[in-house]
Amino acid sequence: MDLLEYQAKELFHQMGIPVLPSQRIHHPTDLKGLRVPFPVVLKSQVYTGARGKMGGIKFVENTIDAIAAAQAIFHLPILGKYPKVLLAEAKYNPDREFYLAVALDGSTRRPVLLGSQQGGVDIESKLDQIQQVVVEQEFSSFYARRLAIKMGLKGSLICSVSSIVEKMYRLLVARDLDLVEINPLAVSSSGELMALDGKVTVNDAALGRQSDLATLVASIPTAPPAACGLSLVPLQGTIGVLCSGAGLTMATLDLIAKSKGKAANFVDLGGDYRHCCPPAILQDRIRQGLDLITQDKSVKAVLVNIVSNGVSCLQVAEAIASFLKWEAAHRHLPPLVVRLVGEQFHSARGLLAAINVPVFESLDESISHTVSLTTATPALPREKPKTPLVLASA
Amino acid sequence: MNFTVNSKVLVQGATEPLGAMYVPLMQAYGTPVVAGVSPGYGGQALDGIPLYDLVEQAVEQLGPIDTTIIFVPPYEVLDAVLEAIAAEIHQVILITEGVPPLDTVQLLREAEATETLVVGPNTPGIIVPGQVLLGTHPPTFYTPGPVGVLSRSGTLTYEVGLELTRAGLGQSIVVGIGGDRILGSSFQQWLQILEEDDATEVIVLVGEIGGDNEERAARYIAEALDKPVVAYIAGRTAPKGQPLGHAGAIVASRIAGVGSDIGTAESKLAAFKRAKIPVADRPSQIPQLVQRALAQG
Repeated sequence: MDLLEYQAKELFHQMGIPVLPSQRIHHPTDLKGLRVPFPVVLKSQVYTGARGKMGGIKFVENTIDAIAAAQAIFHLPILGKYPKVLLAEAKYNPDREFYLAVALDGSTRRPVLLGSQQGGVDIESKLDQIQQVVVEQEFSSFYARRLAIKMGLKGSLICSVSSIVEKMYRLLVARDLDLVEINPLAVSSSGELMALDGKVTVNDAALGRQSDLATLVASIPTAPPAACGLSLVPLQGTIGVLCSGAGLTMATLDLIAKSKGKAANFVDLGGDYRHCCPPAILQDRIRQGLDLITQDKSVKAVLVNIVSNGVSCLQVAEAIASFLKWEAAHRHLPPLVVRLVGEQFHSARGLLAAINVPVFESLDESISHTVSLTTATPALPREKPKTPLVLASA
Repeated sequence: MNFTVNSKVLVQGATEPLGAMYVPLMQAYGTPVVAGVSPGYGGQALDGIPLYDLVEQAVEQLGPIDTTIIFVPPYEVLDAVLEAIAAEIHQVILITEGVPPLDTVQLLREAEATETLVVGPNTPGIIVPGQVLLGTHPPTFYTPGPVGVLSRSGTLTYEVGLELTRAGLGQSIVVGIGGDRILGSSFQQWLQILEEDDATEVIVLVGEIGGDNEERAARYIAEALDKPVVAYIAGRTAPKGQPLGHAGAIVASRIAGVGSDIGTAESKLAAFKRAKIPVADRPSQIPQLVQRALAQG
């Protein structure tokens, strides 16, 4: 998950990577107490790139202009997201702009150092100019100098740029990060370097041993739930999906789309080898997952597809039956379709048939049945209603 | 490579919840689990298997060990693998999900230097139907036969195994290479192994979005493989940039420098098309394509 720019820059500062004086702005009136001297740049703190092109960055010369600009930025959604904070930063006039990054590369199974003299906003169109150095063995400074040379740097820039790359690498390792990116790294006419924008991607799996990063991330509204919490991914359709394992969940969503159905949301319960949630607690997770999925009123049918070596079909069926027993007593639930394979399939089917829940062994059949439930009556409006929608049968 | 009943298998983290659950299952299948390692439990036994405090103590008592299966918690994985390598175990199956990737990088450096094969992390492991279970696969889903299955998933692999078994197509070996972005062994490595494997006549490759494992595999198949391959790709309609449980499956051009469109379903389907590899539309179509490939071969 990505940190906000100001959070990334705090980490840069701690590491000795040069950043400009700046201040967080939570409300336009905060600008009256601005300690950064004008001219300043106000930047929307959102998680997407290309905010500059969308008006999320403004240069201002005085307090009045700054307040007006801040009001505009607070009300400007960037790809649908409004900023909670702006960053007010001293304006800087670069002579040139470089691109630097340190990332983990799946192909070489190593960290890679990336750099280009052509940094800035249009980096995507200049991908072929980005130089790469794979950190094959234990890191040493020469890897960073090798990158600087491949970037075509000469003279004192070789050492100054490679020293920043080295600090980025040390930051990546010390904080278990997936990515540290500086774009642009400003180069002044005198050769001074400054990280004007920063991107840091933390590794979710490592947050358990990075307590201060975990605190930072917890303040982010879109943060994933703690290691074993269940998370609901909202989509735009009418079918809720509860599934076990990432690959099977993706395959199930693909099959729904292929059958002209539309998934409203999904919950992935995880596979069989997640340490914090062994199969022993899968029954609880099934109930929690169903609860999350059916809170969404656009769900017209729920498909449960559980394939597991940890629990039997009967255990899954029992969890579903107990959820229905308790919930159906005090709220309307959409129809459930269950797909199971493995041990005790027939007892599971018997148990659920008794409470009118169809159980399939074939994945394809369970999907066509679920899709037929959502297409039999006219589809609900695409836009999700703000207030709970009362279904006719409720 | 030695994944047979005539090998010796160790389980690290045998007393952890997952270890304790899958050790009896593996034993029941006939897997030669000779010992478990759980610090503090030395001298005790689990399901009749002796437990040791250190891997080297197990090796001292029982002689060289071929394979270790690792169930320890994520932050203890690096240490467990280094311990196994130090005790000269050259096949490591790393079941645990949630290993920080920088730990994986470090353990793989050591594995490469010692020519140790690492499968995983985040994997159901390997099953050689009728012989050994080295991981979490549900044994009843599989049966011996000529199809080698390579996959990045867990439960989806079970699904594909079951589809094949029901169609009367048994498997020579089923390998979960793992769902993480940084993996010990790639599709390409396993394709090379299965090309040489006499029991394998056709290979099913179960891929998913993210990374370039499938693209590289497709190139390799076109260049170097004689045996027929059938592919399937999960995640064609997955929401972009959305975490899907498999760290490897996040499609987002997060790293601007490393390819723009590599990792998308389109890129993988195009790579398979270029390599003339038939791609199943759905898991249930895989047996049909496998039968066709066998008939042509």
